[in-house]
Amino acid sequence: MPGEAIVARGLAKRYGRIDALHDLTLHVERGECLGFLGPNGAGKSTAVKMLVGLVRPTGGGGAVLGKPLGDRAARARIGYLPELFRYPDWLAAREVLAFHARLLRLKDAPHAIDDALGEVGLRERANDRVGTYSKGMQQRLGLGVALLGAPEIVFLDEPTSALDPVGRSDVRALIERLRARGTTVFLNSHLLGEVERVCDRVCVVDRGRVVAEGTVGALTGETRGVRVRLDDGWREYDVAPAEIPDLVARLVAEGARIHAVEPKQTTLEDRFLALVRHA
Amino acid sequence: MNVLLFASLTLRELLRRRLVAAAGVLTLVIVAFTAWGMHRLATAIVDGHPLGQPTVRATAAGIVILLAFLFSFVIALGAALIGAPAIAESIVNGEILAVLARPVRRAEVVLGRWLGTLVALALYVAVAGGVELLVVRAATGYAPPHPLDALGFLAGVAAVVTTAAVALATRLPALAAGIVAAMLFGLAWIGGIVESIGLALGNQRLADAGTLVALLFPSDALWRGALYALQPATFTAVAANANASGAVNPFTVTSPPPSALLAWACGWIVVVVLAGMVSFRTRDL
Repeated sequence: MPGEAIVARGLAKRYGRIDALHDLTLHVERGECLGFLGPNGAGKSTAVKMLVGLVRPTGGGGAVLGKPLGDRAARARIGYLPELFRYPDWLAAREVLAFHARLLRLKDAPHAIDDALGEVGLRERANDRVGTYSKGMQQRLGLGVALLGAPEIVFLDEPTSALDPVGRSDVRALIERLRARGTTVFLNSHLLGEVERVCDRVCVVDRGRVVAEGTVGALTGETRGVRVRLDDGWREYDVAPAEIPDLVARLVAEGARIHAVEPKQTTLEDRFLALVRHA
Repeated sequence: MNVLLFASLTLRELLRRRLVAAAGVLTLVIVAFTAWGMHRLATAIVDGHPLGQPTVRATAAGIVILLAFLFSFVIALGAALIGAPAIAESIVNGEILAVLARPVRRAEVVLGRWLGTLVALALYVAVAGGVELLVVRAATGYAPPHPLDALGFLAGVAAVVTTAAVALATRLPALAAGIVAAMLFGLAWIGGIVESIGLALGNQRLADAGTLVALLFPSDALWRGALYALQPATFTAVAANANASGAVNPFTVTSPPPSALLAWACGWIVVVVLAGMVSFRTRDL
């Protein structure tokens, strides 16, 4: 489905003298997965809350699914996993989902609830009270709530913060399934490796301002340099990727024994740290 | 539709968290104690003779008023402690974030939580208060002149305090909202006494100060309605004579609250609920 899923134009939020977010402008296409990165206090959660209508901007504006921010009809078509939340401990997971299904007026609620429980691996514990859940299971439930009713956009604010490595891997697979279905994903995460693996594009914010935006490849830039392991250990050579075969051939011709060749890769983490430390 | 959903969520929470069970057990203990006390009163022997029926009924009437007074405090505290967390805790938990990202109006959350709390308290007033009055009647033969009116006025007290607690909780933490609502109830009661003293002593400033408090927080006006509905005509006459001589008794009244004040109380509830809705709608979460 072509078109813009999320548009922000100069979105800003000011709390007294503090600029929580300043001039956020971004476009997310339908079906795209955007990684929204930034250090603690950068304004990421504030931005997400403005996009889902929980916080009113003090400047700028935007649209979600073609409707103004906070529009009720648009909210029926989005899912949102907050960063910090705790569902009532006296409700069972299935009841939490049933409550949200009623808010969404879902026609086939039992089926949608079962689907959401299956997506997040909670079917077997669906009738247990949330009070008996671990933090990771609560996070899974929050994800299930966000996915209920097959929303067109899913806003995930730190979806793996309470999950173990298996849970993180499950969430990555889940995001990939969402992308395959054409769901737009707005992923707010600290885990840069995760973002690098699943996102089409990345937007980096720091101290309330966008400091970089683009595809992962564009942000990390062209790789230059290579590490070669010889008999006496690792050595680094400053060559372009196209020059690596010539370098290897020259070293072999000179009698060197090559055990490994590793092109030096600038990771998203390297680029992110450079951006936020420089700022 | 969503209003009823939030109201039913509030009622389910009270049931699941065993608040209803705990309140039920304690109320049963109080009812049993009342039954025992009233039976002792009805069968008491003084100077070798059983108490006369008029004395038993008059004593029972006084005790019923005292019990109603304590009951009004219990329901006011209940309203403050149930009404305030219904919204404030869901904000602190972050639970409200995913809910408000749905196609839900914030006003529906406030109205639903208010309604759920109010229904729970009104049911409690009807059942606990009704059973208590029936027990008194069975043990002593005494029935207050207007028991249903009295229960209605007590439910009104609960409505005023619930309304304040819910509206305050849209901005304050649960504990602060609950305490402030309970303190306002206490302040209103003191305001009522100040007004009575002012009227009895002919001091207009005192009377006006009390009236002002009653207008700002009308729970005492409703308590006085309950008091008037519970007290026998003889008590009303005694209170009128006492007032005429400058004496004040906070447990008797000479007349029911004026209709205008009751209309004010209803209007106050509507306005404060609306203020709570606006407050919540304009709040960043």
